[in-house]
Parts: sequence; C-alpha cells; structure tokens
Amino acid sequence: MTTTPDIARILDKYPEEEASLIEILHDVQLAHRHIPKDTLSAIAAHTDVPLSRVFGVATFYGAFSFEPKGETVVKCCMGTACHVRGAGRNLEDMEARLGIKAGQTTADGKLTLEAVNCVGACGIAPVVTVNEKVLPKFRMTDFDKILGEGGK
Amino acid sequence: MKIANLKEFEVLRADAEAAQKKIRKKILVCCGTGCLAAGSGKVAAALRAELDRKGLDVDVGLKMNETGCRGLCELGPLVTFEPSGIFYKSVKASDVAEIVEKTIERDEAIPRLLYRDKASKQRVETYEEIPFYKSQTRWALRNVGLLDPKDITEYIGSGGFTALAKALATMTPEEVLGEVETAKLRGRGGGGFDAGRKWRSCANAKEDERYLVCNGDEGDPGAFMDRTIMEGDPYGVIEGMVIAAYAIGAKEGFIYVRQEYPLAVRHLDAALGNMRGLGLLGETILGTEFCFDIRIARGGGAFVCGESSALMRSIEGKVGEPRAKYIHGTAKGLYDKPTVLNNVETFVNIPLILEKGGAWFASTGTERSKGTKAFSLVGKVQNTGLVEVPMGTSLREIIFDIGGGVPKGRTFKAVQTGGPSGGCLPASHLDTRVDFDTLTEAGSMMGSGGMIVMDDRTCMVDVARYFTKFLVNESCGKCVPCREGLQQMLRLLTEICEGAGTLRHLEQIEGLAHVLEKGSLCALGKSAANPVTSTLRYFRDEYLEHIEGKKCSAGVCRALCRFEIDEEKCTGCTLCTSVCPTACIAGEKKTPHEIDQEACIQCGSCFDVCSFNAIRIL
Amino acid sequence: MKILINGRAVTAFNGETVLTAARRAGVEIPTLCHHEAVEDSGACRLCMVEIREAGWDEDWTKLVTACLFPVQEGLVVQTDSPEVRRTRKEILELLLARSPEAEPVRVLAAEYGVELSPYPEREDAELPNCILCGICTRVCQALVTGAITMSERGPDKTVGPPFGEATDVCIGCLACASSCPTDAIPVEDTGTTRTIWGRTFDLVPCAICGAPTGTRDQIDWLVKKTGRAAADFEICVACKTKATGEAWHRISW
Repeated sequence: MTTTPDIARILDKYPEEEASLIEILHDVQLAHRHIPKDTLSAIAAHTDVPLSRVFGVATFYGAFSFEPKGETVVKCCMGTACHVRGAGRNLEDMEARLGIKAGQTTADGKLTLEAVNCVGACGIAPVVTVNEKVLPKFRMTDFDKILGEGGK
Repeated sequence: MKIANLKEFEVLRADAEAAQKKIRKKILVCCGTGCLAAGSGKVAAALRAELDRKGLDVDVGLKMNETGCRGLCELGPLVTFEPSGIFYKSVKASDVAEIVEKTIERDEAIPRLLYRDKASKQRVETYEEIPFYKSQTRWALRNVGLLDPKDITEYIGSGGFTALAKALATMTPEEVLGEVETAKLRGRGGGGFDAGRKWRSCANAKEDERYLVCNGDEGDPGAFMDRTIMEGDPYGVIEGMVIAAYAIGAKEGFIYVRQEYPLAVRHLDAALGNMRGLGLLGETILGTEFCFDIRIARGGGAFVCGESSALMRSIEGKVGEPRAKYIHGTAKGLYDKPTVLNNVETFVNIPLILEKGGAWFASTGTERSKGTKAFSLVGKVQNTGLVEVPMGTSLREIIFDIGGGVPKGRTFKAVQTGGPSGGCLPASHLDTRVDFDTLTEAGSMMGSGGMIVMDDRTCMVDVARYFTKFLVNESCGKCVPCREGLQQMLRLLTEICEGAGTLRHLEQIEGLAHVLEKGSLCALGKSAANPVTSTLRYFRDEYLEHIEGKKCSAGVCRALCRFEIDEEKCTGCTLCTSVCPTACIAGEKKTPHEIDQEACIQCGSCFDVCSFNAIRIL
Repeated sequence: MKILINGRAVTAFNGETVLTAARRAGVEIPTLCHHEAVEDSGACRLCMVEIREAGWDEDWTKLVTACLFPVQEGLVVQTDSPEVRRTRKEILELLLARSPEAEPVRVLAAEYGVELSPYPEREDAELPNCILCGICTRVCQALVTGAITMSERGPDKTVGPPFGEATDVCIGCLACASSCPTDAIPVEDTGTTRTIWGRTFDLVPCAICGAPTGTRDQIDWLVKKTGRAAADFEICVACKTKATGEAWHRISW
C-alpha cells in the first residue's frame, strides 16, 4: 500500500498518536471529498491504531464517507427551526427534482444531496447550503436558480 | 512581541484604550452566518470601497468592523453606527453610497432602512429603542456584534484580558475558585451543574495532570448561541478558559468545535495564534509562572459527542461512546485524568465574573439560577434570532415582547426548549420564568438555549416523531434501551402519524419511556423520551385525535388531513394555484377554486398563503 | 469494607465493582455483556441494580449497572427490587425483538415472564443472534490481533472486519466466536478447514494424531507472541494432555 503524496503531507502535520486520528480523517475528507479506502493503512500506521479501529471511527462519525461526494454538495438542514418552517417538504421536493434520495449522488457523479443536522443558522430558517454558500429562507424557486447556475 | 510582565500589559492596555478613544465613528457590519448568507459580505466590501473612493480614512477616526452575529437575523444584513446608535436592517450593497453620504458623513438616518415596529408602525432610529434589544441583558454576548473578532488590540482596548491579569497578578487559584463559587454560575450547556463546584472537585484531585475542555459541540438542533459566541467573541471564550485553567491547575486545554462550524474554528485558531504571539497563552503567561495552552479539536459529526464523556473519547481519537458517570470526569476524564469540561457560554461569562465579582453576578437572576442566559429564539416567531435575558424572565416576555409574537396571524401553540432532551410547553405555561429548575419541573428543561416557537400549524405528535427520529440517528448504539428502544418508539410514533395508531401504542410508548429513562447509559438515552412524554402530558388530546379520530388538525400528518376550499370564502385570487407543487387546484380567476383530492399531497402550501381563510383543514 | 446486598452484609474490597462483590457472595445478577477476560462496558444493562449511597435519604435510590459501579462504604444494594425487575424485563423485551432466536436471551426473558416480545421481531439481519454486547471485539482488540471492530452507530451498528471483507489480520483463532454469549458468529468447520468472517483457513493437523489443531496464522501468531517453537502448538489438545500426563507420571516419583 503506497502512501499517496497528499496523504503524506497531511500525516506529517499531526503527531503520531491515536488522538490525531479524527483530525487526519477530516483533512483527508476535505482533500478528496471522501476517505479513499487505500489510505486507511497509512493512517493506521501513522496513528498506531489497528486498521479495524480506524474503520470503526470513520464509520461512526457522520463527517466521513467512503463514497466520493459530488463537486456540488447540497445540504438541507433538518434542524428544528427549519423543520417547523418546512424543511421536510423542501427535501422531498429536491429529491423529486434530482431523482435521488438524501445521501445519494446523481448518476453523473456531479451533485450530492444530503439531509443534515442543524447547521446553526436558525435565524434564517429554513436553510439550505450549496457547498460553502448558505441560502437563507430557502424556497424551491431558489433551487431552480442553483441548478440553473451550473449545479447540475 | 510577548508581554513580559503585568506592567507591560498595563502599558499595552492603556495604549489600546487610548487608540479606541481616538475613534470618533464606528460602522458595525454584522457578518454572522445569517447576515452573510443575506449578503452582508458584499455590503462590507461595498462600504470599504466607497469609503476608500471618498478618501474617508477607515483607520483614523473612523473604524469599520465586520462583527459576529448581531442577533436579529430575521432582518439582516444589519449595520449599526456608533456613537449615533443608528441601526439599519436589510441593507443592500446598492444602499452603500447613500449610507456613506448621509449617515456616515452627516449622521442622518435613512428612513427606509430603519426598523419599523409592527405594532406602532413607527420607524425606530436607534438600536437601544428597538424592543428586540431593549429588554435584553447582553453579558455572554457583550462583545458580539460590537468588536471585530479578529482584532486582539481592540479586545484589549475594550477591557479584554484585564480579568486575566487581575487573576494572575492579584488572586490565588483558590480565590478565583471562590469568586466563581460566589457567582453560583451553573453550566450553560444544558446540565446546569454548578461550575464552581465542578472546578473545585477537579482542583482537589490527587493527580497533578489536569485538563480543561470547552464544549463547542452545540448539537441541539435550533441552537446557535455557542456558534455566535465562538465566531463573534473568540477572545472572550479563551480568556475565560485561561482563568479556569489557572483556577484548577491545568496546563493543557481543548476547544471541541463541531465540524459544521468552520468559521468558528478559523476565528478561534486565529485568536489562539494572536494570544500566543503576545504571551497570553503558552509558557509563562504575562510573565508569571503559569503555563497553559489550548488546541482545537474538530468534532466528527455526532450529536452524542456533546455528552462530556463521549466528547473526551472523541478528543482521544476514539468513537464517541459515552461512559457511565459513576466516576465523574473531574476524577477520571480526558485520558483518565481529572478534567473540567464546560460549555462555551459558561466560559465567556468568567472574565465578567472576575472583573465585576461573583456577588455582582449573583445579584441577577433567580434564587437558584444566577446571571443571564442566551437563547436562540426561532421557529414561528416574528423576530427570530439570538436573545440574552436575565434568568427569571418569563417565556411570554421573551416570545412576545422581544420576539414580537407569532407571525402571519397564527396562534401560539407551544415553545420547545432543551433540544432533543427537552420538552414542549403550552400556552398555559407562558408565564413560566426561565430558570433551570422551573423549566425542569414543568416537564421541559433549559438545555443549551434553543427556544423554538410553534404555532397551530405545528403537529405535536409530528414534533415528538421528529425528535425521536433525530435521536435514533444520533444514538451511539452501545446500550440496549437507547439503540433498540428508540427505534421501537419511532415506529410507534410513525404508525400514529400514518393513521395506524391504537391506544396500545400509547401504552407501549409509556413503557419505552420508562426503560429509556431508567435503563440508558448516558444522558442522551435518559432524556430521549422527554419530547414524547412532554407532548403526551400537554397535548394528549392531539395524540388521541390521531389515534381515535384519525385526524391531524394541524394539517401536517398527510394521511390524516385533507385540504378543502370553502367556495363561499374563496375570491379566486389564484395565489394558491401559483404555489401548489402538484398543480392540483383548478379554477378561473375570480371564481372559487377547487382542490383535486386525488392529486393533492397535503403539503399545505395553499393554506399557508391564502389570506381569505378560505381553505379548511379537515 | 461491608456493603449491604439484599439486606445481607457482604465483604467488598476497594476498587472492585458491585458485580464482583455480589457474585463472590453468591448473589446472582444476570449479565450478557460481561466477560472476565476483558473490561466491562455496561452495554446490555441487564445487571442493573438499585442502590442507595451512604448519606442519601431513605427513599432516594438510583439504578446503576453492577458491572461498573464501584463499591463504597455504606452502599445498600437491591438486586431484585420491583423497579429492577421491571427494567430488566423491558430490556429483555427489546433484546428478544432484536434476536428472537438467541438462546440465552430467550431463557432469561422467560425468567421475567416474557415468552414473546411485544415488539415486532427483527428480520433479514446479517447476524441474527448478535446483541452487540461487544465481547468479541473487546476480546479481539485487547487480546488478539484487532481484526474485528464495531462499525457505524445507532441502529446500523454492526460487528465484523472492515468493510465486511475477509482480512489477513484475522488469524482464525475463534476467540470471538467462543466468547460470544449468543453463538452469533457463524463458523464453518470441515475438519481440515475453518471459515470465519469470510475467510477460509487451512487447519494444521496434529503432528501426532492428525486431528485439527489451529490455523497456520494462529500458530504463527502464538509463536511470535510467546517465543516458543511452532512444534509446541502443532499438537492437538488430546495429544497434548496425554503427553503432559505421561511427563508428569515420569517425574512424579
């Protein structure tokens, strides 16, 4: 199992101990939009944690995925304030429009739809984020705009 | 350039204060997440460009701050001016030229940008006169919305780190402990445990190695106080932590920030760096023998990691499975060493307590809950945003006086506090005073501060189901009652919402509530039944209506409601047609419309927009 | 120190758990996720007992798991109070729904009057009898090679090697399967091969009689761990016992 250059750079930033594991997984997820399976050995070796436990940690936490996410990640906040302001309905509408369920990626691999926990922007509920961009008081007409702007 | 001793700090402080005094005008542009999403970044950029173009020097005499959340998110982007106090809402980049010319150069207010009171219909010019702000007591939020979270000099010039200097120069760790105990500060994360007592039991531990942890996980859906404080006043949080570390004798600290808050991580990280640079963190702080440093640990996306023992496992790089609390974290916490873990809001109160004294702090609030509390007032409320009030303020005051009540002419139904561990209180409890114990006695809890207002279009059975579903996904899965019990609970609630509920369902729900409360390993499981039990307590009729009447009066549970247009009231305005997602409403303009029940998906959009009350929920 | 268990004074030692003290005194407390060889996790909750600490009000009690609660001076323990029995019954109802065929669960549930769970039985499970007690992973991680782990969380939580794929970290020692309280881990033994966790191992035959001993991986691991020769392990239990008996017989005079 060779260590790809990106991973080595990430690993070098962190002390060789178990406590570095989650930080390393974050950086790998950010760099690759997922955790590539063939990086697990290197991560296990660096942190001195058995590979099985690295897998256990990676699957426990919602931030990490083994499946690559699309270039565009649309997140529908399902927090309570958003829920009472219609987030559930918005999500259903988005699923219908995209033809995928929350947690899935479109067939062309370009867009991933996710139902996420409260993002902490409750004052502008209901919230939908498209990559880094936060859309306040979301309505489905906004969605058409995003898709139009080259989301899909 | 590290501050070598307290005398040097005093010089730096005096200089910074003098520099502050030289500023004649301040422009505060809210760059909290809500306002940023509404475009405040563009407003700030446009302001800088215009000030530049006009040669108005931003640094001498005029300062513009991109601040943290100002609180009134409903009306962002928000811009405030000091010393005039003029407060603008819904500002756009296109307003900037006029703003610079009239307000900055001539202190003149622009009426269309002013807040308008819904009741009196009058425009309100200054921040202090706006009802939303008038009734607030901003202690934890004292710097948010005013200071630039990236500017350490401004923080020092506004009095920052004087509490730390006071603690290190004139007080022993014992005296600091004493002050916090006098303040009777209870943890602001939800547990409400006496902070001074927690610190003292850690300070008394036999082991030399201790840890200090700040819980910035803020997993309660609907809460964003900690986010706001971390993003908007990172120095305030860190100063509180350094004082705490001094009191308990910790050398290493962690701030655990949930991964959904990258801006908070950035601001905290920058603040830590600046503090190290000045010698306010690290070795020999302010030239004393005290050494302490802090690292940031990012959460992995697990609500359960808001629980202290799970959070500590997460810092250790493990799965976030809680441990039984038979041995407290103050005895065996992080790496099995004595640890103090407190919430962001708890820490940000510390510099204030040290500065003004514990007795001062304890003179506000109720008998058993001292000080103030920040709440995220959201949901079906007019003025959504962050508010901070003294403990003992009534729910009515918060929701109606500050929050402006329920919008769109709908009726108040319930207020949910305490997140998934909390409960819903009905209108009959609006005069409950917010206090850790009164809220618990009423069947809810304070929690971290999420306060979600619900109206008559909210189905309380659906709310119980919503929270149960959330917890099913967030359960760590270690113990049987939570992992297995919550799944059964969700199934039962779903069946009720889908029309398959029976009275036996309620019996089983009550049994599950018992095993969850008594049998679960951690607080997540132990309080998991609260949303169900509190709604059963106050809204049992609604459950019975779903079960026996097979009806959902709120029009939320799709299998149990129907939307029908009242021909006599319908004016044929076609507004409903334009929002119907399945195009199932037929009717010519100015003639009564009709909903095709076959195609209708009971989304309720038509009901929500009709201004003639012409649509009935049956 | 002395603690009271079901009204009887019982000797207890500093640092031990209520479970240890109780069992030593002959008091029966049911457990499923407890295993002598590894640390307790308090996952199954069956060993719940009702306690009152010294200094508490007469009627103030708390339910705790005996396997983790440390003994303390003046502790009063009830192992079969109505509240305890009710809670245990409710836990068993949930476990029975999860793993209706798991024998120890059925037996224990019957003791608490539960023949059939009031909840629908789980269907289509990969490991139907697995109650997620965690003993297998604790044993493998602490004592063997750490080949298997718990993964996911909540209702999706499961046990096995990463990605559910065969792994060469597993040495086929069966420590997991033999410590499992509900026989949930499928093992296929043909006499010459052993299949577990998706991997088939050849069994090394006994050097004396040819009966199966362990897997090659297992023996290699034991050699590395103990520093002894492989020959010491390439002998079946029966032959080893016989050889040991003969050796004793020779030296006992």
